[in-house]
Amino acid sequence: MDLFGGTIRTLEGSLDFASAKNQAVSSNISNIDTPNYKAKDVAFKDVLNNASQTIEANRTDEKHIPFDQEVQSSYQVITKGNTSYNHNGNNVDLDKEMAELAKNQIYYNALIDRINGKFGSLQSVVRGGN
Amino acid sequence: MSIFNAINASTSGLTAGRLRMDVVSSNIANAQNTRATTNENGEYEPYRRKLVVTAPQDNSFQSFLHKAQNANSNPSGVEVTNIIEDETPFKLEYNPEHPDANEAGFIELPNVDPLKEMVDLMSATRSYEANITSLNASKSMLMKALEIGK
Repeated sequence: MDLFGGTIRTLEGSLDFASAKNQAVSSNISNIDTPNYKAKDVAFKDVLNNASQTIEANRTDEKHIPFDQEVQSSYQVITKGNTSYNHNGNNVDLDKEMAELAKNQIYYNALIDRINGKFGSLQSVVRGGN
Repeated sequence: MSIFNAINASTSGLTAGRLRMDVVSSNIANAQNTRATTNENGEYEPYRRKLVVTAPQDNSFQSFLHKAQNANSNPSGVEVTNIIEDETPFKLEYNPEHPDANEAGFIELPNVDPLKEMVDLMSATRSYEANITSLNASKSMLMKALEIGK
């Protein structure tokens, strides 16, 4: 039986997503004055859908690139290439990035609280309610 | 993916911002400098305005390889690729007493416009502050992650 269930794995994937998003936002902010830089964003990938599409293949040598690399992550980095807010081809919107930063931080903290709550309940079960 | 990637990206932005401020300071300090370099005839030339060129850090071979292997390689920071000189012509001023004046009595002054420099300085300051904010956000997220299981 799986002690931790699916909850912790889901939270784990969400934390991965949130830290990737934080990284993308940081990179966008650091490139705010870079000519022709296009803002990056991170989107949730449909994990279940993706897992069913895994290529069934054997590696004949362990140095080969594995086939199931993409399934491991729950997110996808996308580049927003269709807009331009600045005469130098840059499309980083600082106000939006700052809002995303604040949102993502709250989301991350909420996930940490939730994961701690989950561990707290398990602890309480392990101790028999004491 | 390193856990400190976000902090490294913000730091690269801070470094670039500080360099831009240094270059602006140098431009303002040399705004009246008529003897910065010598040309091929051995004559003095005024100071030329300097500009910083930046590019995203994910232009390396390593990052392209990562992208080819795995679509999720995350972008990171900014880097300064070059410091170029502004090629706009020098300002001419009529001042026959000046030792660097030509036969017609004109001296060449640097192509530095203090207004442009101040605008650049403000823009560099703002992006520096924005990078500090995102650095603090990444830091507090990492500190929060250490609380898992406590």
